[in-house]
Amino acid sequence: MEVEATNEDCSWLPFILDIIKCMDKDSMDVNQELTKLKTKIQETREKILAMPEIESSPGEQQEQLKTMREKVDTKTQLLQKYKGLCVFDSPKS
Amino acid sequence: MAVADKSTKERLLLVLDDLEVLSRELIEMLALSRSQKLPQGGEDTQILELLVQRDKEFQELMRVAHEQGKVHQEMQVLEKEVEKRDCDIQQLQKQLKEAEHILATAVYQAKEKLKSIDKAKKGSISSEEIIKYAHRISASNAVCAPLNWVPGDPRRPYPTDLEMRSGLLGHMSNLPTNGVNGHLPGDALAAGRLPDVLTPQYPWQSSDVSVGMLPPHHGNDFGLEPPGHNKENEDDVEAMSTDSSSSSSDSD
Repeated sequence: MEVEATNEDCSWLPFILDIIKCMDKDSMDVNQELTKLKTKIQETREKILAMPEIESSPGEQQEQLKTMREKVDTKTQLLQKYKGLCVFDSPKS
Repeated sequence: MAVADKSTKERLLLVLDDLEVLSRELIEMLALSRSQKLPQGGEDTQILELLVQRDKEFQELMRVAHEQGKVHQEMQVLEKEVEKRDCDIQQLQKQLKEAEHILATAVYQAKEKLKSIDKAKKGSISSEEIIKYAHRISASNAVCAPLNWVPGDPRRPYPTDLEMRSGLLGHMSNLPTNGVNGHLPGDALAAGRLPDVLTPQYPWQSSDVSVGMLPPHHGNDFGLEPPGHNKENEDDVEAMSTDSSSSSSDSD
């Protein structure tokens, strides 16, 4: 799942602020806001669990990327070598 | 495990759990203080600071996750490139294997041919001798019956039993002639009763048989006397016919 969150979307403070405002107003929407926060936290948790690209740390992922690039380069060189190899060159006497 | 060794996913989940706990504690504390109308102390401030700190950490980790997502996409592209190259390498390997097989077969056949050439060179025979021999074989009607041959004709393309016995070997062993091969005309010849037309006519026949009494055989008609036929060639034919490689068959 691609991460599309921005810095604004990732912040939880607005949710907490809304709950505090409702508490100051003694509004009946406090429970609703609490439920909303709980639901949002659970959804975020599920999204994080479903993301495959964060199974490793950034350092490990960079290592994997480097290894994969080297693998591609090696195989490309091997292919170019075999395709350009002329096996019928007469040996120099 | 150090924080840096943990995956981004684990760190995000930990921070999220902390945020949940802190936000719950803050809300409970605020609700309690309002209901009891008591001063809160500094605890709510501390919780609020921790909450803000955790929120910042969460935002930073989400940014890192976003970057890792881009890297992951690049890695997927590279994986496809690796798969494609693996397919190309396997295809090339298969072609090289086929070429190797074809070349190995060609080299083996060439070596066999060279062996045959060497063998032929060691046992080379003059082509003139082969042609002479071919002439002699065909001149004696050994490869094709004479044109006037009919069933019942005692002539054969090989020396008959009687002729062998009447030759040098037969005289040496003094074997009795009993006509086991059924060549009655041969016996009749020995007795002097054979009609001239049925007399076997072969180049190797001795001069005992009168040439004038014998009708000409078709070997002469077709000029099958080998070119350059002379007594020397006849001696060669004698040598050839008495070679152990030729065998007379007791047919009929």
